[in-house]
Amino acid sequence: MNEFNIMTIAATGMSAQRLRIDVITNNLANSETTRTKNGEPYRRKVPVFQELVRNIKGRVENGGVIVKKIYEDQSPFRIVYDPTHPDADENGYVKLPNVNVVREMVDMINAQRAYEANVTAFNTTKAMINSALQIGR
Amino acid sequence: MFNTNFHTLKIAMDVALKRQEIHSQNIANAETPNYKRKYIAFEELLSESKMKLKLRTTSANHISNIKESINPILKTQENTSLTNDKNNVDIDVEMAEMVKNALKYQTLSRLISANIERYNTVVRNIR
Repeated sequence: MNEFNIMTIAATGMSAQRLRIDVITNNLANSETTRTKNGEPYRRKVPVFQELVRNIKGRVENGGVIVKKIYEDQSPFRIVYDPTHPDADENGYVKLPNVNVVREMVDMINAQRAYEANVTAFNTTKAMINSALQIGR
Repeated sequence: MFNTNFHTLKIAMDVALKRQEIHSQNIANAETPNYKRKYIAFEELLSESKMKLKLRTTSANHISNIKESINPILKTQENTSLTNDKNNVDIDVEMAEMVKNALKYQTLSRLISANIERYNTVVRNIR
């Protein structure tokens, strides 16, 4: 039987959400970064999830979730007037990253809740398997 | 010598486990764009198999009508959308259903234990 596959599914959910929190933390840490390697301000990064379905000997098996890619948000940068900033252009405007701190915070709480949901799924499955082990005791 | 209770309970537990897997899959993909919630249609199959259990075979050569296992029908709910990314997993419904399913599984395993206990009573001649 595939009792343990259920736990693996919950684990993929947990690691996906943890990676999402990772990315969000990175976005927050770089919310004011005006210099990156390619010369422009930091771009907000977004992980994209995809359902994972394994095909074992012609049988379709659920595998949970996988992080397909981490995209860079192409929306325009924030432009702020600050002539004293070293990276300001000749008119005194600075390009700041397209990170919206409030939005990141909301996303983070969302990811936390989703993580907890996966933990609950894991624990419920554990209780189920334990009860099956008690049969005949 | 063993009655068919064991068999019915085993099938029910197998499907509860499968359900748990589908719930986990739905919860893991609660934030996946374009993901559609999956579910299992089973109760109707179980009641059908229960009906069949009432039939009797009068000779050992008769083919038993009890199925060895039931292939649960996996369905996908396609038509609804809860969020803008076309995902239709309702996390609250999913959690509630999952806990319900787990309790059902635990009840079934206790029922199997009770069945075994009854045989124990006979074997050990204790009351």
